[in-house]
Amino acid sequence: MQHILDELAHRREQARQGGGERRVASQHAKGKLTARERIDLLLDEGSFEEFDMFVEHRATEFGMADNRIPGDGVVTGWGAVNGRLVFVFSKDFTVFGGSLSGAHAKKILKVMDQAQKLGAPVIGMYDAGGARIQEGVESLAGYADIFLQNVMASGVIPQISVIMGPCAGGDVYSPAMTDFIFMVKDTSYMFVTGPDVVKTVTNEVVTAEELGGARVHAGKSGVADGAFENDLEALTQVRRLIDFLPLSNREKPPYRRSYDEADRAEPSLDTLVPANPNKPYDMKELIFKVVDEADFFEISPDYAKNIVIGFGRMDGDTVGFVANQPLSLAGVLDIDSSRKAARFVRFCDAFDIPIVTFVDVPGFMPGTRQEYGGLIKHGAKLLFAYAEATVPKITLITRKAYGGAYDVMSSKHLRGDFNYAWPTAEIAVMGAKGAVEIIFRAEAKDPDKLAEREAEYKARFANPFVAAQLGYIDDVIMPHSTRRRIVRALKSLKGKSLSNPAKKHDNIPL
Amino acid sequence: MFSKILIANRGEIAVRIIKTCRRLRIKTVVVYSEADADSLAVEMADESVFLGPPPANQSYLLADKIIQACRDTGAEAIHPGFGFLSEKAEFAQQCVDAGIVFIGPNAHAIAAMGDKIESKKFAQKAGVSCVPGHIGEIDDTAHAIRISEEIGYPVMIKASAGGGGKGIRVAWTRADVEEGFPAVKAEAKGAFGDDRIFIEKFITSPRHIEIQVLGDRHGHVVHLFERECSIQRRNQKVIEEAPSPLLDPETRAAMGAQAVALAKAVDYDSAGTVEFVAGQDKSFYFLEMNTRLQVEHPVTELITGLDLVEQMIRSAAGLPMDFTQEDLKINGWAIESRLYAEDPYRSFLPSIGRLVRYQPPAEGAHGLYQVRNDSGVREGDEISMFYDPMIAKLCTHGATRVDAVNGMARALEDLEIEGLGHNAPFLSAVMDQPRFRSGVLSTNYIKDEFPDGFGGLKAAADQLDLMTAAACWMHRLQITRARGDGRLFAASERDAFVVFIGEHKRAVKLSGEGRALNVELPGEGRSLGLQDVDWRPGRKLFKGVLDGRAFSLEVAAAPEGFLARHRAARARVLVLTPQSADLHERLPKKVAVDTSKLIVSPMPGLVVSLNVEVGREVKAGEAVAVIEAMKMQNLIKAECDGVVKAVGVKAGDSVAADEVLIEFA
Repeated sequence: MQHILDELAHRREQARQGGGERRVASQHAKGKLTARERIDLLLDEGSFEEFDMFVEHRATEFGMADNRIPGDGVVTGWGAVNGRLVFVFSKDFTVFGGSLSGAHAKKILKVMDQAQKLGAPVIGMYDAGGARIQEGVESLAGYADIFLQNVMASGVIPQISVIMGPCAGGDVYSPAMTDFIFMVKDTSYMFVTGPDVVKTVTNEVVTAEELGGARVHAGKSGVADGAFENDLEALTQVRRLIDFLPLSNREKPPYRRSYDEADRAEPSLDTLVPANPNKPYDMKELIFKVVDEADFFEISPDYAKNIVIGFGRMDGDTVGFVANQPLSLAGVLDIDSSRKAARFVRFCDAFDIPIVTFVDVPGFMPGTRQEYGGLIKHGAKLLFAYAEATVPKITLITRKAYGGAYDVMSSKHLRGDFNYAWPTAEIAVMGAKGAVEIIFRAEAKDPDKLAEREAEYKARFANPFVAAQLGYIDDVIMPHSTRRRIVRALKSLKGKSLSNPAKKHDNIPL
Repeated sequence: MFSKILIANRGEIAVRIIKTCRRLRIKTVVVYSEADADSLAVEMADESVFLGPPPANQSYLLADKIIQACRDTGAEAIHPGFGFLSEKAEFAQQCVDAGIVFIGPNAHAIAAMGDKIESKKFAQKAGVSCVPGHIGEIDDTAHAIRISEEIGYPVMIKASAGGGGKGIRVAWTRADVEEGFPAVKAEAKGAFGDDRIFIEKFITSPRHIEIQVLGDRHGHVVHLFERECSIQRRNQKVIEEAPSPLLDPETRAAMGAQAVALAKAVDYDSAGTVEFVAGQDKSFYFLEMNTRLQVEHPVTELITGLDLVEQMIRSAAGLPMDFTQEDLKINGWAIESRLYAEDPYRSFLPSIGRLVRYQPPAEGAHGLYQVRNDSGVREGDEISMFYDPMIAKLCTHGATRVDAVNGMARALEDLEIEGLGHNAPFLSAVMDQPRFRSGVLSTNYIKDEFPDGFGGLKAAADQLDLMTAAACWMHRLQITRARGDGRLFAASERDAFVVFIGEHKRAVKLSGEGRALNVELPGEGRSLGLQDVDWRPGRKLFKGVLDGRAFSLEVAAAPEGFLARHRAARARVLVLTPQSADLHERLPKKVAVDTSKLIVSPMPGLVVSLNVEVGREVKAGEAVAVIEAMKMQNLIKAECDGVVKAVGVKAGDSVAADEVLIEFA
């Protein structure tokens, strides 16, 4: 009997070695941790249980018959993050460069299948060289099988991808279909075609970092939702994110006891909006002062900074925040910010996370660049997302809510549950100056008269009371009481029940 | 006594004056500029009168408008505070002519002391010890050399109308005079339109000591002892104290007597200050007299128990002083730190903006010291670019200098400011310096002690202990809560961790319940006992008692671990499991990457202003341009330090998105 136990221990030991000491050392030298080390950091101590440790590929061609390593380039299994179930897979660059074989794909599929059945998130850690070329179409089939499962799982369980090394070709499309992508600066990159192919096809010379590094995707393309300094920091932050999310769409978002008073007043918010309507202010100050314990997990902080999105808690319950940011481009809605916020709103709606929207928006961005880029349809995504969302929706207008952008930003008309405004709010079709120039075109040549008209228009519309008279704003609230009012509104909405008409699915303007 | 007073000032001094008026049941009127419409002073005053746009010459310096405001509101007197109109003899006279009482000295005294050369003549006549030097016109360079050699080198060549560090040169040799005299003359002509020059003995390692005097309109003058204001940066006082660690009773009495004599010579009838420069040998020489309330007057109030504003009001109302010199005693020691909105880590660049958080330490008794905080701002207020970027004057008072200094160090720990850079870490560094504690001060102190500027201090052993204990506490609280109740998989409980603080690493073992935490340090054979913790997640100040020592740390969550600051020491603190600690050490230390050398416009818009020119050194975070887009002004900030190599646009230009605004060398 002892012999059999020893045999198991020996086999396990062998599998845990991955690609062997030399390759592990080379991984470390690159500033990267190994697949198993990453899992250890991500999961609660000692909670990891591995699946398919002894799986090997079945290829025989191109010398592969004699080249087998248990695990086949990916470590899979399950464990806990702060006591809550999660499934993981972690590509092992030390084994066949983490490349995807048929067997490798099946390991990932098993985890994804279990996760959906059991209702728990899947976290994938990427550090891989793409398809196992020796396996040809079997590898491609493996990818497609995973893609399909990504789609099936979407909206059912949270899917998170952490890019911690190379991720190219077929490998990028699975993360692309997950809910969040995080990258590690300097050691990871993602692209569909690499620098060599780029050079051959377009003659463009570019490094992997310039083409698809963490800074590129977190700041320019918006593909990544965050970039971190190293593996440890990235995984610490993924743990933090998981704490905000429900494990699946079958359960309510988690509650965490708050050390913050639900009715905490913040007198300094009374002076947040500057007297000069053209002066910017930092909308994040409002979020930090309203949310529990100033704990806000921002998604995509470096991309489309004119809109801020992320998770926080209000008296212990998770909420998603969407806020125009006057500090950046005056908080205007453009293609990037509309897409960024729309996807976030849909994630929240899918997982029953209430949405709190802070509005200070001067309108949609004008210009050829925006129109040629399809602002109409991209802007419509955010409008569509807010309109279809059935989760509790609370909206607060702090200053400007102009034109169509007012409608878009979770207005009463899109089934906003509680629509509040600060006394500084201005809800109008456009700014006073532009408005009078149109209404009183005949007086355009008389600046004194125009100024008088402008003052008149301002007095009439540059306030929240017209909207409040019409019932489009439920109440005008004191800035310092914002936290208390939102907490109360959210509590009242706990029993909200609303559904959209039955249909196969909608047709959001993608 | 007056029933209503107008305060021709703003900020903390306006608030300070209102407080005394409230106590004396005098109604107050403040005047204000556009920038101060929602200020604390306006809120606290009984009435307020709008003056004009923010620049002082369109608001706080408008004498006529202020006098009219007095008439309109029925105020009987004006307190000018300091700065602005406080030392303008014409204004004092204008008030008198308008039948309004000027709360300050008579116009004659202001005029007499306002001119540097005139005031020296008065001083000499009054028997005040003056710096050996030449008073009177100097004909030419040859004359200047003759005078310098009579006095003996080193000498200082100074513009009569000079101030604020302009028009001053030190000459150590004849050649220095040959070169320096014409230069100062030219500079004075250019800067002040007045090229009168004087030359005097230059005192090495000088100390700035000043005597507070107080007179009434019945010929009484007393002195309220001295203040030492040697800790200065670029001729701006930073830390002041009373009394001075240099003086003995005899010197104090001699200086006091001279100051009183000078005040009497000009019929001084209010609060004023006679400034002296003192050598380390306790020799002292008259510098000038300030005919107003000084910024640093609170330290004198703390050691004498007098309210100087009250005394000024009483004198102006014609009441005689109700005490004599013999009644005055020095009670304990007081220190004042001027808190400025400036970034000490970036060469003290002004760091104006919104006070996102501002929670000063509580005023009143704190054991061996008491705190006074004179401030004109509240959390959520803006420190504007138009005026002095002072946030507050934080004062401590104790029985001894040690108590006052220790108190200041603690009071600075208890201060919470967020949203802009401030000099509290720098002030803390000074409080902890052995030289400062020894009292061997000089106006060169900051230059001597921080020759390369200020970059914070390395955490000392006791500070590492504070940071270790606090980080363990915060970590324990967070993991305990994160584990949650009734979770499917109970996370294993662990008590052994590894703590990293900057470069330092130590193993810890945690035990204890509730508000107490015991941190065993197995590697060092000792343990740390943390008690009475006052902190919860999201709070910026971590307060506690470590082995009997009360402390406060500034803490913030980092993507991994915490950022902590204790006094002048900052560090990132990580609390990791032994396994994570191993992996953490395996990760390479990153060297700062070369960020782009370009600043581009993030949006299409109109360049409103450019704040830099070619060759200017720019620090990260400094605003370099303002771009207007969507009718909104956007501040464009530098993302890294650099020297401007090229500026691609000018104010008024339209720019496209990504258009290069500024290029760094």
